[in-house]
Amino acid sequence: MSDAVLAQALGICSALLLLSAVLLVWRRAQVTALPLLALQGLALAGLVAVIAISEGSLELLGVALLVLLFKSIVIPLALARAGRGEYGGAPLINTATSLIAVAALTALAYAISAPLAVLGTGPAIQAIPVGIALVLYGFLLLVTGRHAIAQLIGFLVIDNGTATVAFLSSGGVPIIVELGVFLDVLLVILILYVLTGRIRDEYGYADLDDLTELHD
Amino acid sequence: MIAAGLLAQAGLMAAAVVLAAVVPARYRARAAGPAIAGIGVAGAVTGLLALGGSQGVVEMPVALPIGPLLLSPTALGGFFMLVIGIVGAIAAVYAIGYVHGPSASRSSWMALAVFLASMQLVAAAADVVSFLLFWELMAVASTALVLTEHAQRATVRPAAIWYAGMTQVSFFLLLAGFGILAAQAGSTQFTALAVTAGDSTEANVAFVCLVLGFAAKAGVVPLHVWLPRAHPEAPSHVSALMSAAMVKLGVYGVILVVTRFLVGGATWWGLLILGLGLVSAVYGILQASVASDLKRLLAYSTTENVGLMLLAIGSAVLLRSNGTTGVADVALAACLLLVMAHAAFKTTLFLGAGSILRATGERDLDRLGGLGSRMPLTAAAFGIGALGAAALPLTVGFVAEWVLLQALIHGASASDRILAIVMPLTVGAVALTAGLALMTFVKAYGIAFLARPRSQGAEQARESPLTMRMAMAAAAMLVIALGLAPGLAARAVADAAGLVGIGSTGLLGIDLPAVGALLDPAWLAILAAALAVPVLMVSLRYARRRPRREVDLAWGCGGVRVSPRMQYTATSYAEPLARIFDDSLRPERDVIVTHSSEARYLVERIQYRQRLSDVFETRLYLPAIGLVDRMTTAGRRLQNGKIHFYLAYSFIAFLVVLVVVTL
Repeated sequence: MSDAVLAQALGICSALLLLSAVLLVWRRAQVTALPLLALQGLALAGLVAVIAISEGSLELLGVALLVLLFKSIVIPLALARAGRGEYGGAPLINTATSLIAVAALTALAYAISAPLAVLGTGPAIQAIPVGIALVLYGFLLLVTGRHAIAQLIGFLVIDNGTATVAFLSSGGVPIIVELGVFLDVLLVILILYVLTGRIRDEYGYADLDDLTELHD
Repeated sequence: MIAAGLLAQAGLMAAAVVLAAVVPARYRARAAGPAIAGIGVAGAVTGLLALGGSQGVVEMPVALPIGPLLLSPTALGGFFMLVIGIVGAIAAVYAIGYVHGPSASRSSWMALAVFLASMQLVAAAADVVSFLLFWELMAVASTALVLTEHAQRATVRPAAIWYAGMTQVSFFLLLAGFGILAAQAGSTQFTALAVTAGDSTEANVAFVCLVLGFAAKAGVVPLHVWLPRAHPEAPSHVSALMSAAMVKLGVYGVILVVTRFLVGGATWWGLLILGLGLVSAVYGILQASVASDLKRLLAYSTTENVGLMLLAIGSAVLLRSNGTTGVADVALAACLLLVMAHAAFKTTLFLGAGSILRATGERDLDRLGGLGSRMPLTAAAFGIGALGAAALPLTVGFVAEWVLLQALIHGASASDRILAIVMPLTVGAVALTAGLALMTFVKAYGIAFLARPRSQGAEQARESPLTMRMAMAAAAMLVIALGLAPGLAARAVADAAGLVGIGSTGLLGIDLPAVGALLDPAWLAILAAALAVPVLMVSLRYARRRPRREVDLAWGCGGVRVSPRMQYTATSYAEPLARIFDDSLRPERDVIVTHSSEARYLVERIQYRQRLSDVFETRLYLPAIGLVDRMTTAGRRLQNGKIHFYLAYSFIAFLVVLVVVTL
């Protein structure tokens, strides 16, 4: 494939990542959130695959497969089981405000990644702000999400953002490091999965807003 | 030898802790007490060796990148170790008979061992880290000891909180001060710290931090607020240790600062120390003279004595910067003699107070009385201690104050304008202090031991067990022995600080060549006896010849004082004084008159209540604490337990950092 096609593919994947994240902030129902998360995983996997092809690295292609498996299949399915259909009330700020916040955060992401331009001039470096924007959106989701699952999604978006930046800026990481990160995230998901279940069993709901005091 | 002594102290501490932990309750005091006394003896011997000029180092390597911890007592450290060791040994022997209830518990004995050993090792520390390490260990152990009786009285807990708070303030100030010095010197060892220049801003800040930090531990006004609370609430042997030994380490610190780390600074350095000492001495004894709680009285008297020590150090610094080194030496010697004297008589007094408390269950002087005949040995020991505290001749207290006054009076003749103003004022303040101290201890002794018992507890008092009597007798002997033969003390003091302005004439006398004065208490005693004995014998013979007379109360209508309630109490004795110093003491007085139900002109009962609070506490600390309280209450709104807020805080902080980095 030619460089132009690869650059186009990279652009599409980055755009998909950003779009899925914006949609995640906009539509907070679980019905839409989990497919969007899967889409984001798919876009990330595509991004890694494009980088793998452009560098001709088989190892990175394996990483792309792993990303596809975990980020777009295993984790969304696990979340769907953990949430059991309920997703709590509306987020703490309304949709219009969140979209304005998203716009501001995107601008901020581009502003703060200006120093990273020194890394190079290729399309991959140009796309780094997308990863940073993803981290900021994830944080926003974490802050405004009412339900434990919603917060978990925010956490995963942060993770996707970090991974995006890592892949774009360094041209991929060794598979062993990537495996370690996956296992880490999986462990967090497992812990939160169990914790959410316990919170619901104990209190009958998993709305974090009502949990304000410590008990023995 | 020194190293062996230091290791012996640590080993004995470990042994005492283990004994306190494993020996069953019945034999615990008899096992742990002697072991702790052993720590004291080991400390005293090591201190004596160091004072004699022996050198020795114990190095403890640590994992942190700060160099090994060094223990190597100097002559000055040895002097303090000697004083602390003797006090500790006496207090430990006393504790064997004294402890009961919670003070006989495992934790209390263990804390006592750690407390004593860490105090002695503070005096041996030769680098900043080990100094602060043992300083904190000492603070923690003593806080645990203050808390001993927290289940018995509600007042113990606030006392311990005040103590812990002020101790931490002191620690932070010391940390800051030592930090500046160590950064300047590039090393944490004491031998390297002395290179800091005398007049830089860093030196000034370090000086203020260190002096205030040590002053807080020494109980100097206005950082004394923990002292009148913690001393009365701790068990009496602990009060004795805290007051006679621990507080002295604050004085040790100030001496270290002015003679080793920051030598020869600005004039205001001397004036600051002298001013702190002056205010403490006068305010302390004023509060003591109107206090009616016996242990509170003794605690305030500690503030007074520490004030005198600081006053001596301050005038030494002033005199030295003026070039009159000889007189400055005498002032510093006076400080060390005061340390020794105060350790001796305050141990006696606190142990005596503990004996009273144990026998009667009372600390309030207004409810004591008539203990002289019931507890003869306690009465004799307390009396000797009181004589020492009032600085009367033939006690060590007199020797110390005499040397102090010599230095102050001869310092005043210097041509320097500041000295010419400050020294006479200081002499006046010391004189006022001495007068009030005399009155205070006349009150303490007279009300507690003379007249008739004012409560049932005092009526049924019994003399204390043997170990307590032994300890009190030993402490009282020290007061007299050092007072009669101060030559040895003078030589120890001269060795401790390398002073040339003080010497001794044999074992018995003190010679101050710098001011041309000589004190020989033994000859004074013989002279006094030679005068008094003939007068006494003649008057006795003369009295025998006269017929026996009956003396009755004038206008007593043939009656006698029938009720103990007609006697002077501690409050009524000090009442005129409380009126004179009304403005600085601000006592609250209530007079409640209950009229007879039949006629308004007949009074059935009059109640008089007087509450004395500490002006510094009510005017300075409580407003400050209230302010902090309000601020933290406002701060709690930030910390509301909602996870979204916490996440938002970190998100906002993250954004701010990003924006700042971009700009």
